[in-house]
Formats: sequence, C-alpha cells, structure tokens
Amino acid sequence: MAHFEIRDLSFTYASAKGRLSLDRVSFDVDKGQYLVLCGKSGSGKTTLLKQLKPVLSPAGKRSGEVLFNGVPVRQLSERDQAAKIGYVMQNPDDQIVTDKVWHELAFGLESLGCDQKTMRARVAEMACYFGIQDWFHRDVANLSGGQKQLLNLASIMAMQPEVLILDEPTSQLDPIAASDFLNTVRKINLELGTTVIITEHRLEDIFPHADRAVVMDGGRVIADDRPRNIGRLLYEQDNPMFTAMPTPVRVFYGSGGSGECPLTVRDGRSWLSEAFPAGAKVKSLPETKNPVEDNEPALIMKELWFRYEKDTPDIMRGVSAEVPTGSLYAIVGGNGAGKSTTLKAICGINRPYRGKIRIFGKPVEKYRSAELFSRCLAMLPQDPKSLFVKKTVREELEEMNSDKARVGEIAALCQVEPLLDSHPYDLSGGEQQRAALAKVLLTEPRLLLLDEPTKGIDSFFKETFAGILAELKAKGITIVMVSHDVEFCARYADMVSMFFDGQILTTDTPRRFFGSNSFYTTAANRMSRHVFTQAVTAEDVIALCRANREGEA
Amino acid sequence: MKREENDAFSRCHPAVGFTFFVGAIGLGAMIMHPAYIAASAVFAVTYYCLLKGARGMKLVALSIPLFLFLTFANPLVNHDGQRVLTYVFGKPYTFEALLYGMVIAGMLIAMILWAGCYNAVMTSDKFMTLFGGMIPTISMLLLMVLRLVPNMLRKIGQLAGARRCIGRGAAENATKKEQAADSLNVLSALMTWALEGGVITADSMKARGYGTERRSSFQIHTLTGQDICLLGTMGVLTVMIVRLIALGGTAANYTPIMEITPVTGRYVWGFAAYCAFLSLPTVLYIKEAVQWHISRSGI
Amino acid sequence: MKRSRIVMLVMLLAVIPATLLLGLKLPGRSYYLLSALVALEILIPFFMAFEGRKPQPRELVTVAVMSALVTIARVAVPLPSFKPTFAVIMLSGIAFGPETGFIVGALGALGSDFFYGQGPFTPWQMMAYGMAGVLAGIGFAPGRLPRKNWVMGVFCFICTVLFIGPLLDTSTVTIIATTFTWENMLPIYASGLPVNLTQGACSFLTMLLFGNAILEKLERVRTQYGMMETDDDGL
Repeated sequence: MAHFEIRDLSFTYASAKGRLSLDRVSFDVDKGQYLVLCGKSGSGKTTLLKQLKPVLSPAGKRSGEVLFNGVPVRQLSERDQAAKIGYVMQNPDDQIVTDKVWHELAFGLESLGCDQKTMRARVAEMACYFGIQDWFHRDVANLSGGQKQLLNLASIMAMQPEVLILDEPTSQLDPIAASDFLNTVRKINLELGTTVIITEHRLEDIFPHADRAVVMDGGRVIADDRPRNIGRLLYEQDNPMFTAMPTPVRVFYGSGGSGECPLTVRDGRSWLSEAFPAGAKVKSLPETKNPVEDNEPALIMKELWFRYEKDTPDIMRGVSAEVPTGSLYAIVGGNGAGKSTTLKAICGINRPYRGKIRIFGKPVEKYRSAELFSRCLAMLPQDPKSLFVKKTVREELEEMNSDKARVGEIAALCQVEPLLDSHPYDLSGGEQQRAALAKVLLTEPRLLLLDEPTKGIDSFFKETFAGILAELKAKGITIVMVSHDVEFCARYADMVSMFFDGQILTTDTPRRFFGSNSFYTTAANRMSRHVFTQAVTAEDVIALCRANREGEA
Repeated sequence: MKREENDAFSRCHPAVGFTFFVGAIGLGAMIMHPAYIAASAVFAVTYYCLLKGARGMKLVALSIPLFLFLTFANPLVNHDGQRVLTYVFGKPYTFEALLYGMVIAGMLIAMILWAGCYNAVMTSDKFMTLFGGMIPTISMLLLMVLRLVPNMLRKIGQLAGARRCIGRGAAENATKKEQAADSLNVLSALMTWALEGGVITADSMKARGYGTERRSSFQIHTLTGQDICLLGTMGVLTVMIVRLIALGGTAANYTPIMEITPVTGRYVWGFAAYCAFLSLPTVLYIKEAVQWHISRSGI
Repeated sequence: MKRSRIVMLVMLLAVIPATLLLGLKLPGRSYYLLSALVALEILIPFFMAFEGRKPQPRELVTVAVMSALVTIARVAVPLPSFKPTFAVIMLSGIAFGPETGFIVGALGALGSDFFYGQGPFTPWQMMAYGMAGVLAGIGFAPGRLPRKNWVMGVFCFICTVLFIGPLLDTSTVTIIATTFTWENMLPIYASGLPVNLTQGACSFLTMLLFGNAILEKLERVRTQYGMMETDDDGL
C-alpha cells in the first residue's frame, strides 16, 4: 500500500499573486521507500514537502489532495501528524528549541504528554542509537553543526515516526558531517524501514542508495524513476538539472557512454576500465600555461602565527602564501583547520603575534582602517545574512554607496536587479549570497575574500556565482576563497592551497594539485585516475574520453 | 569535571538545593542577631570556597573591604546610641551604630555569598526541573531564552566582524558616539536575524507537536532516598528556627538601646538548629570526601 | 471577567496588603523579604494570564527573542550603563500590549540573571523590568499616544528616569539600607540618578534611531508569517 498518495496537488502562495508553486503534482510514495526529490531552488520542492505535513503548510490556495495511509493528511489529528510524520529542516541551529541536548531529545515526547517511564526509555534508546551518550548532558551551544543536525534527527526519531521528511538537511554542514548524516538516514531507512523523503544537493551521496528519484521543475514533476535511469531522461530532455547529477552520471552521458549508467565512483572506474581495456592513448589534456601564475603578488602572507587566547593552542602556525594579482586563489582543508581565521587575519580582525601580511606591497598595519576597506580589501562572510541590516536589498546597497548609477551597475553584475525591492530575508540562499556580494563589491575592493561562498547553494547558483567571479577577475580583481567544496575549486580556481594543521602545505594549479591527491580530490579524479592523469573535473574526463575515441576512429 | 559537579550537595535533587537556599537567604534576612549572622557568614564562606576553590577565596577576600566600609560608614549616617566613641563633623559616632553597621555588613556579605553558591548549584536545568511542570509555558520561554542568548552572543561577534570587513563597523579608534551608534545598528540587525530564525524554531516546535497535548516534563533528576531524608531534616530544622524567632530567641536591638538575647542558656537549641541547617552542604561535602578517602586507602 | 484579571484583583486588594500586614509583625530586616514577596505576588497574575492564553509557538518564539535581546542589550554596547535594555522591553510592550510586554521584561530580567548571576534582587528586577513593558503597553495602546519615534523616546526616557530606575534603586534600599529613613534612602537614589539618566538617554536614542524600524520588524513577523492575535486593550 502506498504510504503517501499525492493526487493532482496544486498550490499557490497567498502572496504569490496567482503564480502556481505546485502544478498538478501526482505520485505515490511506498512504505519503506527511500525517495529523493531534486530540482533547482525555487522548483517547489520545499513547498511540496510542507504539504505533506499540514501543520507546516503556509497560507495559500490548494487543490487536489494528499492521502496518508489512505486518509487525507489534513484530517489527521495534530498529535498523529506530529508523531507519525517527522520533518527535519535545513538550518541545524534554528530548529533546536531548548538549551540542553537531553531536553531537546525529549522535546517531542514532552509535547505528546508521554509519561516519565516511556520518555526515559525512548530517550535512552535514541541516545544510544545515534551515539549521543557522550554529549548527552552538554549545552546545545557547544555542539558542532553536524552534531546539531544529528540531534534534530534523533529528537524526531524519538517519536518513532513512520515517515521521515528531510528538507536539504546537509546544506549547512561540511562534507564529512554531511556524509555522516546521510549515512545515518540511510541506516534508519534500512534498519527500521522508515519511509524517507529527502531533498538534497549532494546527489553523489544519495543516488546510489535511493530507491527512487523525482525531479521537479517549475512546480511540476518532470521525471520520476529509479536513480539509474534519471540521468538519461534528463540528458535526453537537455534539462539543466542534468548538471546537478553525480559526476559518473555526467561523464557517462556526456561522453556518449552506452549500457548501464554508473552511479558511484567505483562503478565509474570499472566502466572506464571496460571502455579503455588497453589503457588510454591520450592520457592527459595539454598543459595550458596559467596566465596569472607569474603576476605580481596582490597578497603576501609570511610566517603568520596566531592564537585566540594566551593559553589556547595556536590556530595559525606559520602560514605563508603569495596570491598573484588577478587570480582566483582557493584554500581548501578540513573543518576548524584555521582557514577562516586566516581570512580574518588578512582583514586585521585577528592580529597575528608573529609574521607579516602585505597587501598590494604595503604592510597591512600601515593601512588606516578606512583606507584598507575602501577600494582595497573586502570580505564576504560565511553567512551572507550577517551583512543585512535594512529592509530591502536596494537600501542595503545604497548604504554602501549613494551613487545610484554605480549601485545599478553592481546590481546588474551580481544579477540581483529583480530582487532590489525584496526583503533580504525573503531571498533564497543563492540570491542572498549574490545580494551580499553586491554589497561587498560596492566598497570597490581590489582584493576580495570569500569565506565558504558555496555553502548551502545548489549547482545552478554555483554556476551563476562562478560566472560573476570570472567577470570580477576579468576586471583585475584578486579573489581569495576558503572552501570545503573541492569540486567547485577544481573547476574554477587558478591556484589551490591545502590548509592543514595551521599551515599552508602545498599550493598548485587545480589540475596538478588534485591530480596528485588520491583521497582529498574530486570525484572525477578518483574515478579516472587509473586511466587518465590530472583529469580533475567531469569536463576534463569527458574531453579525454572524446579525444581517445576520435584517436581510435 | 567542574568543581561544582564534584560537590555532593550539587548532585542532590534540585528541590533540596532550592529549599536550602530559600531557607538560608530567607531566614537570614529575618535574623539580626550577631551570633546568627556570624554563623551564616562562616558557613557561607566555607561552602563557597569548597565550591569555587581558589577563585572563591578571591571573592571572599574582596568582600572584606566592603565589610569594613559598611561597618564604619553606618555611624556616619546613624547617630543613635549611648556610648559615644567620638564626634565626626559635630555628630556623635556611637558604638551601637558601629555594631549595627557590622551586623548589617555581615548579613549583606553572607547574602552575597549564599547567592553565589546558589548560582553555582542551581543551574538552569535544575530550575527547569522545579518549575517546568508548574508553569510550563513560562519555563518553555525561559528555556528558549537560555538557548538564544549564547547563540546571539556568537552572532553579535559575526555581525560586527562582517561589518568591519566591509569598512562599516566602528573601528578600533572610534569615538564613543560611533561605537554606540554602531552597536545599536548591530543590535537591530541581530534582532532581524533572530526573529527570522525564530520562525523556523516555531515550525520545528509545531512539527514536534508543541501544544497538541498537555505537556509533560522530562525529569533528568530523580528524587533519591537521601534527598527525601535531607528535605525532611531541613523541614524539621526550619520549624525549629521559625519557632525560635517567634519566641524571640533571636531578638536583637542596637539603637538607641542595645539589647541582645544571649545565645547560650534557654535558646541554645535554636542556635544549634540554625547552625545544623546552614552546615548541611558543607557536611555532605566533607562526608563524601572522607568516604572516598577511606575507600581509596582501603584498596 | 477572565480568571487572570480576578487573580490580579485578589492579589492587589487582598494578598499584597496581607503580606504587608504580616511583615509588620516579622522581626529583623524583614522588609527585604517582604518586598521580594510582594514583587513575586505581582508576577503571579501576569504569569497566569500568559499561561492561560496558551500562546502559539510563533508568539512564544518572538517573546523569547525579545527577552533574550534584553539580556544581550546589557552587553551589546561597550559603554558603561549606556544600555538599551528598557527600549527593547518597551518596544515589546508597544508592539504586543502590556501583558506580553510584562512577560518580556520579567523573563528578560530572569534570563539575564542566569548569565550574570542571580541574587536577592532578582524578583525585584523581574517586577521592575516587567513594569516597563506594562507602562509602554498602556501608554501606546491603539488610540493613545502616537507611535512616533520621538514620542516613544521621550516616554521611554521619562519612565526610565522617574519610574523604573527609582524602582530598581528601591530594591537596593531594601537590601542594603540599615533603616528606612529619607536620610538613608536619599543617597542611594542620588547615586542611582546618573546611571538612570545614562540608561534613559540610551533608551531615548534607541527609540529615536530605531523605534519604528523595530516595530516594523515585529510587524513583519506578524504579517509575513501570520501570527499573534493580541488583545492589547491596555489592561
């Protein structure tokens, strides 16, 4: 029997002036199924998920119906809705209500009025299943993002729901915490048989395990099949969603592969081995000279040492780097390695106790603060919301520069013109990112620092964002970015540095950098390294496949 | 492990702690007798130092000048009394007023220290255990406040940092006016951020059934036999002390005529009860320390 | 009549006078105990009213955010006693009505005492902060004072300097004064005056700069996400 039956569901937000956000959506979700819902941001994924749990559905006009176990979901009592349909949201922080881990675990049970004995048993069970015992008594404020999201999941599982709905649960997490989280979700699905409905950007981690993928676009379902077949459907439709597919899928169709489509790196490797049984003739792409490599350095860091308190360990332990003018310079590395601390040191917020920073040849301490942050240096913070203080995007931008013409230019560059009169908090993550970038650019920086700019953004917004960065580079602006996003850095950066243990260990072009790593590298490289050398993006691999085929023909 | 977690009394049920502190501070405010105040101060200092260790000594040391100041200042405003020691600005400086000042100062310091102990022992989760069932909505609110404040403090740092990095925040050498204006700006941005986040928190509460049933409250602390025993002991002692106060056993008058009921003699049981009450946390601490010592040396 | 209103009347007309009478009979410096009791008795009807209303999560969260801001306001501005605490409370009172305003103030005080230390002054502080919310809620109930920045600023300044500040100073009196004479109390009020003036000035400035902007933010949460039906009829 179907768990959820969605019948001809249409929905219009009260504020949307008649524009349909969901357009006659119909599909069933079977019991115990692991269903992944994909689509660009704004395609109606979240709107659809919220319709599955009516206490969360916003005001608006609705037609069609949603059945849960054969009963219209809106007729379910609030108690049943709470207990049977679990819902995990995007932001790990805002979902937590109480200040202690144990209390958060018990929150749902308290709401349902469970008695002490049941609560004790369930809470204990959850703490063990999710490995929370060690931090059971801790304050929520001292948890990492990954732990917080795991706590949110555990707190919902404590109510023993039949269905688990997850709305981009890992978008705010670093890659390691994200894959831990997704593994836990998979474990719940496999071990408890809980139905899972998830929306997610990180399809690489989900596709191999999901039973089914539903693709949405403009409020409609445009594809609904097993994950293995979805790639072909999208490729044939030439749908932009194809770019969000896992690397092996993109390489497979992009290079005109035939047979069964690989979903994982492992499958991708064996597919490549079969495609080139005798090894590839063309092993690597021609080396292109990186035009910016020899430019004058815009930023020089020399032996920087920093710690927050006198008696805490050093965060920066001799950081040295030279950033060529006009380059996009990426610093990658694990969580808490000190990457963001380094950016703050460049801005002069953290003062290294040893070492020198030179910006455009001049020591940073020689700049007056007003001089440094005007026409020189600016930083886009990790959370773009940190920059918003006004009611509309326009006011935000005009706070920086009263020259309307210039504001218009920058707004056009960052593609935020249609959003100028919106409230900054009403924008999607990617739009907020661009609005914040516009605000930062209005200080006319020559050196732009970006802290995790791709966090929580889907692949389309990433591409738009990369386009803007390319335009900035063309104008001679130097960009330094720290990121977890290996794929993004491989594709767009000019230079990549590895940050580890308070130091910058290696620096090279993305091809040489990722090409010589075997774990800390892109999926494309892991998939193809036994056949090609230094192919680090899906595009590289596709180009090499093609080159070899042409060679054969 | 923090020192407070090491303390046997802190590990008792919150009801024990709360009753004790209400008793210690409440009874303390009703008794003006120098011997009782001295006892309260001594036990407060002892327990505070046990709880806080070396850091505790510091506050105790700091309170000595306060004690002296209040003691010697009182006769300057209070001129009643018979034994005139000297004249200051033509007004009498009396022995009685001096003693009264000492009593008031001692009481104040005892109260400060008991409040310090209270803050260390009665953590927010204990407070919640006590009142969560009684006033569920208000305690829910308090919980959320306790959760939000550290979050907001962190966010304030981020907001100020983000603004500085685009050259908008107050620089290091900013004037007071700029600093004030900038921090109000940050506060306003913080408010928007928190209110928008709050919408998600509210959804998360609804998603987990907040308000569907009468709320129960998860008790992380359980009432043990020892807790009941302690509550009983405190109850008996409190009744004795209240009886003592009603009988006038703690009566003390300073100005204009000094009359202090002696501690020894017919009211000695009362003084004993008062000391017994106040010494409970210290006794528990020492008892446990001794037990550990014995069990360790036994190994 | 609502239950909470009845409780409030009973408190004001019977319980509080009874407490005061009882206090006359207690020995020692019972006026501290007494005053703390009275403060608590004032809190009870407000708390009961709020409990009885069964507020929805969105309202709860908003009240919690404002209360937490009261705590934050004590540290956010790096200048001594120049704190926008009362402005935050009064704006909540204006936006949500006196009853909710009281809750924001009282919880703000309690919450911040969890971070900066509780003491004998806590019940007093809760009551006084709460009263700030009530005053603003009554003063700016629909149809009363106009919600203009400068009007709110002046109102906030006057309340802080003439009412809330002295109320807090009175708690100091009950804790440290040796006897209740004008002679003893005046120095305490006098020493409190500069602090109250600075506080008042900060409140005034906050209202002048942000008064309506903040009200708009609260309004936005209310309309954007459809919440909070208050009965702000001004008590």
